[in-house]
Amino acid sequence: MTTSHPNPAAADVRAASKKTSAWFQGNERLVVVVVLLLLLLATGSFVSERFRHLGNLQNVYEQSVGLALVSAGQTMVVLTGGIDLSVGSMISLMSVLTSGLIDGNPERVVWVVAGVLALGLLLGAMNGALTLWLGIHPLIVTLGTGAALQGLTLLYSSDSAGSVPPEFEYMAYGRILGFPVGATVTLLVFAGLAHLLHATRQGRYVYAVGGDPHAATLMGLPTRRVLVSVYAFSGLCAAITALYVVSRFGVGQPYTGANYTLASVTPVVIGGTMLSGGKGGLMGTLLGVYLMGLLNNVLNFMDISSHFQLVIQGLIVVIAVSSFHGRKAQPV
Amino acid sequence: MHTTTRIPMASKDTSASVKNLLRENTLLLAIVLLLAVAGSFAPAIFKPENLANMALQFAPLGIVVLGQTLVILVRGLDLSVSSVMATSAVIATSFSGHNADLVWILPLALGTGALVGVANGLLVTKRNVSPFLATLATMIMLQGARNAWTQGAPSGNVPPLLRDIGAGMTQGIPNNAFPLIGIAVLAYVLLHQSTFGRRMYLVGGSPNAARLVGIAVDRVTITAYVLSGVLAAISGVILSGYVSVVDNWVGKNFELDSIVAAVMGGIALSGGKGGVPGALLGAAILVLLSNAVVIVGLPIHIQLVMKGFIIVAAAALYVAKSKVRS
Repeated sequence: MTTSHPNPAAADVRAASKKTSAWFQGNERLVVVVVLLLLLLATGSFVSERFRHLGNLQNVYEQSVGLALVSAGQTMVVLTGGIDLSVGSMISLMSVLTSGLIDGNPERVVWVVAGVLALGLLLGAMNGALTLWLGIHPLIVTLGTGAALQGLTLLYSSDSAGSVPPEFEYMAYGRILGFPVGATVTLLVFAGLAHLLHATRQGRYVYAVGGDPHAATLMGLPTRRVLVSVYAFSGLCAAITALYVVSRFGVGQPYTGANYTLASVTPVVIGGTMLSGGKGGLMGTLLGVYLMGLLNNVLNFMDISSHFQLVIQGLIVVIAVSSFHGRKAQPV
Repeated sequence: MHTTTRIPMASKDTSASVKNLLRENTLLLAIVLLLAVAGSFAPAIFKPENLANMALQFAPLGIVVLGQTLVILVRGLDLSVSSVMATSAVIATSFSGHNADLVWILPLALGTGALVGVANGLLVTKRNVSPFLATLATMIMLQGARNAWTQGAPSGNVPPLLRDIGAGMTQGIPNNAFPLIGIAVLAYVLLHQSTFGRRMYLVGGSPNAARLVGIAVDRVTITAYVLSGVLAAISGVILSGYVSVVDNWVGKNFELDSIVAAVMGGIALSGGKGGVPGALLGAAILVLLSNAVVIVGLPIHIQLVMKGFIIVAAAALYVAKSKVRS
């Protein structure tokens, strides 16, 4: 902004206040999530002395990594008006492949990690390509590929597979200057991606395609490339989540990703990203991830069983989604 | 609305509808061919004991597929069926294990199914929640509630009458075929002979047009979800008699299986197309295919891969066909 203006100072102030109120109008949802987070913090401190310990909050921060990673990919897909129901199976498949192929050999780590990341990209791109070429709703495509990939996972290993060397656990348990590596890198990557999504042309394309794919195509945007890219990104995120899960548990299991399918959609919709596409963003998702993590933590302190936590998770999804009155009806 | 608007329907008479079904279903023909090949490799598939085994597995799936079909017809999807099945199976074993308990079991199980259906239907119609997310959420909630109730412990308290219905045979015919036949006839009459059925097709084919001619679209849609919930509950009760020891996962994967069977039977995922004969045929083919995998000696997990492919292939064929037509 270097253009001259008759009264630069006053204009800046006016522009700034206009910008602030516009921001609030576009992000009521983020404000709601932040308020809910503060309420949960207050409830937690009221319920238990131990909740307030920094160590506890750090636990929540660290335990949120897997969900944050997979939800980042899901957010991109949902922004384009799609959905990826195969993330759970992709995580399961790639986690058993990771520990199964490494099988305790430190010298294989680099190759297997590279291979798994490439596989994630490929599987995701396949979802995107199938959606485009066959003209089927992504819900059906990813339901189908998800089932097929879960079958392949079980064909490869119907139980925990192989093992990883202790150094592999650095991703989940490592510390730099006292900060947990995985959680902090995830936070920084999220911030970086959120910036890219808003500030770059490619990022704006994602919103344009989600808002109105037909108009986006007419305007000459590379709609097809954008769509394949977001699914490929979701596959990549699933691959990184799989690596993280193996790093955390030391082994891959054939059902380890199953719960991630719905769980990955939850923070996305809580964070205000519309299932019909074109509206929302990554910061809302990240806040949604911390909200879910904190909620489970508070429920644990309240001695509420993990079974009821499932009930509450389902309720929250329903409330979050049904409090929208979207411009258009939601897809299947 | 007392004027009887004739809406052209696929099944005016049975022979035409069967012919139509075959012409419309390249996929189905391919699968029948595949079965013939499997049969020549492993003739054991068509041995009486194996056929009886398959017949026993047919009813629980068939009943759920009929419910799933109603929901898909009105452009929906019901992922909560497996959870409803497990919950009603758990209800069936939560009493003393005597036949008298059925007085409590049936209303409780069917009521739960209906309640879940109402919740799904209300979320989809009144709050515009996408069907898959609404039913996925109710599935998870029900799963949590069920696990909290049983604490994960399996139970074998199945009333003997349910064992008879679920696993018994009468002169070579599985007992569970009788409730299936009853339900199938009712579903056929409802869908293909009644005004309500015509309304369902119209709601699925074009919700806006349906609204314009004065059909209570929301009520029709909610009814479809309620029926699907109730049918899943019935299937769960029958299945509890078949497995005889009920854990929290009875009916696992039935949400996927019921969708796969429906699409194989020509129920279009875009709504408004398909019917009862197709749904049952799809269920029969899926039972045969799953069984063939085991008999031919392939690893059992191939089943999942196969089902995934079928969903995508069926949807793709449907899209390709409607493109050719238009």
